[in-house]
Amino acid sequence: MNAEAFRATGRVAGKRLPRMDGVGKVVGKHVYAADFTLPGMLYGRILRSKKPHARIVKIDASRAKAIPGVRAVITAADIPAVRYGQAVRDAPVFALDRVLFYGHAIAAVAATTLEIAEQALAAIDVELEELPAVYDPEEALANAVLVHPDWQDLKALPILVRDGNMAACAKIKSGDVDAAFAKAYRVYEHSFKTAIQHPGYTEPRASVADWDANGNVTVWTNTQLPFDTQNTLAEILDLPSARVRVIVPGIGGGFGGKLRIGVEHYAALLARKTARPVRVLSTSEEELTAATPRQSAVVHLKTAVDREGKLLGRQGRIIVDCGAFAGSGPGTAAVSLQVLAGPYRNGSLALEGVAVYTNKVPAGSFRAPAGPMANFAVESQMDIIADDLGIDPLELRLRNIVHEGDLGPSGEVLKAVSIEECLRKAAEAIGWHDRKPAPGRGKGIACSWWMTTGGSSGVYVKINPDGTATLVSGAVELGTGAITGASQVLADALSLDLSDINVAGVDTQTSPFDYGAQGSRTAFSVGNACLAAAADLRQQLFDLAAQQWNIGTEGMELRDKQVIAGNKAITIAELARISRLSGGGLIAHGTAISPPPAYDPGKLENHLLPVWNTPSFHAQAVDLSVDSETGTVSINRYVVAQDVGFAINPTYIEGQIEGGVSQGIGQALSEEIVYQDGRVMNANLTDYKMPTALDVPEITCILVQCASAAGPFGAKGVGEPPCIHPPAAIANAIASATGARLYSLPMTAEKIVKELRTARE
Amino acid sequence: MSRKLLELTINGEKHQLLAEPHWTLLQVLRGQIGMMGTKENCLEAECGVCTVLLDGHAVNSCLLLAGQAEGHEITTIEGLGQPENLDPLQAAFIACGAVQCGYCIPGMILTAKSYLDENPGYVPSRQEIREAIAGTLCRCTGYSKIVDAISQAAQDRLTGNTLTESKETAA
Repeated sequence: MNAEAFRATGRVAGKRLPRMDGVGKVVGKHVYAADFTLPGMLYGRILRSKKPHARIVKIDASRAKAIPGVRAVITAADIPAVRYGQAVRDAPVFALDRVLFYGHAIAAVAATTLEIAEQALAAIDVELEELPAVYDPEEALANAVLVHPDWQDLKALPILVRDGNMAACAKIKSGDVDAAFAKAYRVYEHSFKTAIQHPGYTEPRASVADWDANGNVTVWTNTQLPFDTQNTLAEILDLPSARVRVIVPGIGGGFGGKLRIGVEHYAALLARKTARPVRVLSTSEEELTAATPRQSAVVHLKTAVDREGKLLGRQGRIIVDCGAFAGSGPGTAAVSLQVLAGPYRNGSLALEGVAVYTNKVPAGSFRAPAGPMANFAVESQMDIIADDLGIDPLELRLRNIVHEGDLGPSGEVLKAVSIEECLRKAAEAIGWHDRKPAPGRGKGIACSWWMTTGGSSGVYVKINPDGTATLVSGAVELGTGAITGASQVLADALSLDLSDINVAGVDTQTSPFDYGAQGSRTAFSVGNACLAAAADLRQQLFDLAAQQWNIGTEGMELRDKQVIAGNKAITIAELARISRLSGGGLIAHGTAISPPPAYDPGKLENHLLPVWNTPSFHAQAVDLSVDSETGTVSINRYVVAQDVGFAINPTYIEGQIEGGVSQGIGQALSEEIVYQDGRVMNANLTDYKMPTALDVPEITCILVQCASAAGPFGAKGVGEPPCIHPPAAIANAIASATGARLYSLPMTAEKIVKELRTARE
Repeated sequence: MSRKLLELTINGEKHQLLAEPHWTLLQVLRGQIGMMGTKENCLEAECGVCTVLLDGHAVNSCLLLAGQAEGHEITTIEGLGQPENLDPLQAAFIACGAVQCGYCIPGMILTAKSYLDENPGYVPSRQEIREAIAGTLCRCTGYSKIVDAISQAAQDRLTGNTLTESKETAA
């Protein structure tokens, strides 16, 4: 399709239009998965381990099964021993011979009420014999305790390098780092640690499953990836995937925490066993002990510079703690390497990303997986270097950033590079000239880059006889506004208003494939597919008009909801009616795939995501105060300068930035799933502290628009980058305000005050 | 377990139902009456998504026993504006881009309504608004646009402006 032929008219795309699902959400009529019910529905609950690593001696459910109202109890013994997983097939539905973490599913119950289901959980007798466990990812690499003693038998992607608890090891290499260290003016070596962070979506994971008379199952669920969930369910249920139907009614946030199968399989298995619809809704405790949070990480970073602060070489090792199953850990460890390289001319690179198993919660792909962990290390160290060399931290960055046409870490040519503009604008807006305005007050800056994830999107667009269009997409509207954005692109291209676009629900049985609401790609990729469909429809409309008028299609235009040729005009609505009489109606299938740029495979080893598509560039700056007695951080102001390529809807882009920064502030200052001896100490929202309205400052958003060649009207991915920089920017501001440098997240008041006291002594 | 007859007044309508004495108002609203606009999450009054109004004041329906709501006027999000006739707060939330996933929004709007109604004739500062909504978690927005919306609604009620979801406010 000739999608390039469309240019944004500024009429719909680029405008601050209200989101399409807003009214339903403010009046309480929008149906989320957690709201979905069916007549006769049973309530499912999961029995989870309270031991971090133990052998299962006995499971006796006879008492539970005898409780009136209990309709089924299932354990690993009742289902085929399927193991699933993206990179390594290591995850069973229920614990097999051993429980591998606190929160590991042991059994599932379905009952006529939730209360009876809870009674049944308490009546299942489980005997566990505790085993030695491993919690520290670096200790785990010694393989003294194996999380998966059968690791060699597990199916895994051939690209992965595995060894016992090591689930993957990716590398990026460029130039000669040893030579760089040998000739360096200074070499800096530091280690950083980050904590496990929950995605924090307000709607828990929820699924309702029901089987029909033909043995097909339908699951209504709040997944970000309906097609991936469909495939995983098909494997677990041993069905062809076409017999598994996944419908996403509505979803209350995801942030990467609802990518992979969550509770869908429990609902489907219980529904099959009971021949009744079954609903499973996660509790807060399950969310904080057994969802898929952001991995914790350890980063060792060694950097060589010359006298002027020019980077000569970087050696880095990041250890990503996957928990008990690999999940997205191998991908996260790999992607972290591009973040460690940063938007910098590094001279030479030797980076290694390791994913490792421990007896903790299996982690997932929380927004910009690896981004904040690696960025915290790189950008903290940039400030340490700047301080040591007596160079302004902004100036040090400007001396080292990449420019248009430079090669990226994979040897790819970087295009639409805007990092200098982002840095300068963020610095100016925060008032960088006055970096330490008062005692205990300071400013910090951090910058990064990030990809727009590839993967394909398909859409069907149908023109209705009233002249409106219906968009059928398999992409889930997570709340970001991405589907409103894609609809703005579609409306713009078809000369319609946004109110002329109807959006159909996501249903794997009827929706065209979409790679999913992940990786900052939805508006980008669905928008491109919409442009392709619009180009097809425009041609169909021209052909129909040409038939009506007995002329050729040359010089025809689609404008003001009409096809226009010279002094002739016919409305889209009229053509849609004509097509219904003669041609079965107007419909187009638009598709999009953004091919990765050319790169040098010689620079990479065992890397799952070897090169970044359509990277975006960004900088964030913060002005904060630290109470020297209590260590409490108060953020006065926050600035983000982010290159979005083209702002399809500035309002919701700002919303993405403000929300992402808020999550990053949480990661920086307060959020951590705290483990002690393998047990989660804060599995509730009282003790797991996410930012409230009082913890998030006013945020200034500067939208830089350096158009990409690949995105709709030049757009780049937006959603993930805002949460990458806050830990580093805040750490740098704390150091600027107090002189105290924090190397581990979250930077709680306790840690800060301890640093301040140590410095005073 | 013995169910008792409860009479609840919800959005001006009387509802009679048999309920267990330990059922919360949230359980009754969602599980018995089927009004799903009031949301469910932490069940320990930390997240605020279950907020409803009791005689005009915001309460967490996850901790309030349904029986305790007898004799009081309960207002849920379904009792505020309707799509064709939105409450000014609902309109302001849309116009200001304060809605993303929307799961916290019913609770957020009712919290804001309670706060504004308790402080008539007054436009609160942004900091005061932040304090008023600090009991409701939103993970999507970073709160800025929610504060914008509440501030806008507070100003409009003094000046008599009415926001509707028109193209003027949208642009």
